[in-house]
Amino acid sequence: MTMPISKKILFYFLLSISALVVFAPALLAFVMSFMDNKDIMTGSLPQSLSFDNYIKAFEQFPLLKYLLNSFIVAIAITIGQLILSSLAAYAFVFLEFKGRDLLFFLFIATMMVPFEASIIPNFHIIRDLGWIDQYPGLTVPFFATAFGTFLLRQNFKQIPKELREASQIAGMGDFKFYLKVVLPVAKTSLVTLGAYGFLTSWNMYLWPLLSTTNDTVRTVQIGLKQLQTQEQLNDWGVIMSGAIIVIIPTMILLFLGQKQLQKGLTEGAIK
Amino acid sequence: MRKHFLTSFMMLLLVVFLAACSSNESSSGETEVEAESSDTKEKQVVTFWHSMGGAGQEALNSIVESFNSSQDEIQVNAEYQGEYDESLTKFNAVAGTDSAPSMIQTFEIGTKSMINSGQITPIQEFIDADGYDMSGLEENIVNYYSLDGTFYSMPFNSSTPVMYYNKEAFEAAGLDPEAPPATFEEIIEANKAIVESNPDMKGFALQAYGWLWEQLLANQGALLLNNDNGRTGTPTEIGWTEEEGKSIFNWVKQMVDDGTFANYGTNGDNMMAGFLAGDVAMFLQSSASSRDVIDNAPFEVGIAYLPHPEDKERQGVVIGGASLWMIDGKPEEEQKAAWEFMKYLQTPEVQAEWHVGTGYFAINPAAYEEQTVKDAYAEKPQLQVTVNQLQDTKASYATQGALMDMLPEGRKIMETALEKVYNGGEVDEAYNTAVEQFNAAIEQANAARGE
Amino acid sequence: MNMSNPMIESTEIPEINYESVKRKQRIRTFAKGMLFLLPSLLLFGVFLFYPLFKTLYLSFFLTNARGETTVFVGLQNYLGMFASPIFHQSMKSTFLFVLYTVPTTIIIALFLAVLANEKLKGIGFFRTIFTSTMGISVAAASVFWLYLFHPSIGFINGILEMIGMESIGWLTDPKWALIAVAVTTIWMNLGFTFLVLLGGLQSIDSYLYESADIDGASYFYKLRRITIPMLSPTLFFVITVTIINAFQTFGQIDILTQGGPQNTTNLIVYSIYREAFTNYQFGTASAQAIVLFVIILIMTIIQFKLGERKVHYQ
Repeated sequence: MTMPISKKILFYFLLSISALVVFAPALLAFVMSFMDNKDIMTGSLPQSLSFDNYIKAFEQFPLLKYLLNSFIVAIAITIGQLILSSLAAYAFVFLEFKGRDLLFFLFIATMMVPFEASIIPNFHIIRDLGWIDQYPGLTVPFFATAFGTFLLRQNFKQIPKELREASQIAGMGDFKFYLKVVLPVAKTSLVTLGAYGFLTSWNMYLWPLLSTTNDTVRTVQIGLKQLQTQEQLNDWGVIMSGAIIVIIPTMILLFLGQKQLQKGLTEGAIK
Repeated sequence: MRKHFLTSFMMLLLVVFLAACSSNESSSGETEVEAESSDTKEKQVVTFWHSMGGAGQEALNSIVESFNSSQDEIQVNAEYQGEYDESLTKFNAVAGTDSAPSMIQTFEIGTKSMINSGQITPIQEFIDADGYDMSGLEENIVNYYSLDGTFYSMPFNSSTPVMYYNKEAFEAAGLDPEAPPATFEEIIEANKAIVESNPDMKGFALQAYGWLWEQLLANQGALLLNNDNGRTGTPTEIGWTEEEGKSIFNWVKQMVDDGTFANYGTNGDNMMAGFLAGDVAMFLQSSASSRDVIDNAPFEVGIAYLPHPEDKERQGVVIGGASLWMIDGKPEEEQKAAWEFMKYLQTPEVQAEWHVGTGYFAINPAAYEEQTVKDAYAEKPQLQVTVNQLQDTKASYATQGALMDMLPEGRKIMETALEKVYNGGEVDEAYNTAVEQFNAAIEQANAARGE
Repeated sequence: MNMSNPMIESTEIPEINYESVKRKQRIRTFAKGMLFLLPSLLLFGVFLFYPLFKTLYLSFFLTNARGETTVFVGLQNYLGMFASPIFHQSMKSTFLFVLYTVPTTIIIALFLAVLANEKLKGIGFFRTIFTSTMGISVAAASVFWLYLFHPSIGFINGILEMIGMESIGWLTDPKWALIAVAVTTIWMNLGFTFLVLLGGLQSIDSYLYESADIDGASYFYKLRRITIPMLSPTLFFVITVTIINAFQTFGQIDILTQGGPQNTTNLIVYSIYREAFTNYQFGTASAQAIVLFVIILIMTIIQFKLGERKVHYQ
């Protein structure tokens, strides 16, 4: 499986160009995070580079606490989503019962409820449950995900039905089959969904802002928001450094997840 | 591999349960700590919701800290709640529950909705009970926040719009940098000189921002809403005349046609960056930005009064910004403690620190006599202009400002109309549509209140 | 979670009354299905369907600032909305936006995925880069692009001027603003779409390609005849999700244009947010939300009816 050198060069060329274009905005932000606000605002080349912006960002609010909260919230949501949506997807693919398709449409329909539209009723529910400023208030509403169910359903469908029949003959129950066969076989999708769930919950902004009133369970995106002002001139250097601090953990996760993902992929779990 | 995956999955499960448990633990632990501290020191906790981000938050936090360390009976917790409208939405939902704060900071156009909400205690009650003298505060600011002689909220961060200009660009164009244009007509002429001397620079930028439009209206002595800007009765339609309203649109149109107008849309940050980069010579913006603009500009910045049409006399500006509200249904001690904090915020020393640290006005004019302020003015004499403009304002219903709960929507309508003209649209069409929508919004708001 | 499944041992076939057993089994599978779905259904009920019904209810009323109903107006909110030119503009912009973003995102992501699917040295690095936009929050990404689009000091206009072209008011010109927001959105969604498509590509059996190679098939023939059909379940998923996401775009609008200039980027979810958070008109906001819900629902049903048939499952 070797390709001719000319083709290789073409591929590397295309890859590099695409990578540059895709990564340029983040790269610019990275450079800006070391720049002085005066240079940024006047659009000149950086006169000096320093860590001042990062120091300022750390001084403005309890960043480490926010980061920890973000981790707790994002991991809890990820795990909740993986469990709930894999269970639901299993039912949609391997169990044949009356009203299944209708229920599936009902699930899909939930994806169409724009979150911004239901945010205020949801906030009232959290308030009535006494979950304001609590981790459950930040996490439980996001455990059930039609998106995740849909993703896993599409993947589970690629698992041959014969496998289920064989296991049934071997006397394997549904839950056992789900746990011992389906989950391991679909681990690529689970990792994908996990990464997606983690990143989207890490990046949530409006809901954590609304459902918290003080610093105890606040997440890091709110910190990023606090760096911005409404009536005064924004200190873009500090804002960019905040943005960089916020995306570093997700970048690390993606890098590690990428390896995990590839490992899962190359082992060829799906046939 | 499968086994390995399964165990890791089970591990994850375990983590969920642990996380769930620990969340309960941490929240219960939190209350314990609070209970303990109130037992030993018996400090009255005041929860203060605010919307100050960035530099404003820094200044506010330092004031709160010095208040907390100045005495040992009250502990103020300043908590950021997002922008004003996000904070208000949250407040509306939790009002009347334990999660509600002791006091909240809200923008000036939210004044009417706060009063209507029935969730606040007018601070007049505390003024009367305490015999506190409000007459020492800045007259124009007091005018906005008093209604029929009653104070509903305590003014806090206040600002007005001013005109910023690039002195170097003025010199290069042969204009007098110490005599900036004061009328719409003078600005049109100055623009031409500037563009002629430097084709890469535009003359003037007006952010499509409803607040600025309201100010340009008030400066002509025009009302935004009828019934004296809603101060003598519930408004039923717009308060300005066609001549007053259109003068602003025609002025903008003239500059657009001349090719001297810089369009930054609704984005204030972009406009300031354009000014600092030397792409535009003049722009209107809140006085709260003055420190930042002066500090960041690589050239000398001038600050001037808000312009007005030649045939109208200057009336002055309406106060903008936000005030502090006392929340109803809280224990008396908590409200009293919050009142103490509000009074502390009005002291000249605190106001001086606030004014110099942020660019917002001092609510208490005595602050201008403080040494910190004098030093700042010696260094940046332009800052004085912002205060002068406020103090030169003539008191009237027009400059007192409008009160109505649909003002945020009204701003958006005017912004859209301005943008139409910026992009080459006709004045008549843009203006008429806007007036129609503005009146419809007033009608809708009145209907929604069920009155 | 850990409860043992009571249905496990019941699969042997008894000889008596075949019909009733069959019916019993049907009830059992239904119960089992419900058991698997229960946690999701419960949460959906509380956090999605209940708010949805509440939204429907609110859409027939006017409300005060606290969101409490004040006056029953029947269909007035809907009628007023359909008569409003602002709402028409909003619908038009929303559909244009979907048209701009969905095909472009998928084509670019597919291109990147095909590139990154080659077994080359250091490909992991490129894959990470391509996935990276997924890790950048809407707030951070919008702030990056706000600067790139800046009329005078922005990077993009800088390049335009360098090659001798007129600079463009990306976020202030009504002709360009929607495109600028679309570009930002495409960039933001690229990472995730890429990742899913790459996953799909990797799960295609390499045996298919090997046999095609033996037949001497060209690169594009393989792409058209093997890659795309085999990828169809993944593509179907990606298209559905991208469309729904495009309809629900919010954060980047808030930061980049706030619905302007002249409402050209006032996409429907942003319009709902404004009505609720700024204007306190929960009634009209709810009516708009219901209309949006119905539109996406219809589009998705059509998509499932047409699409699911063409999708190739192994």
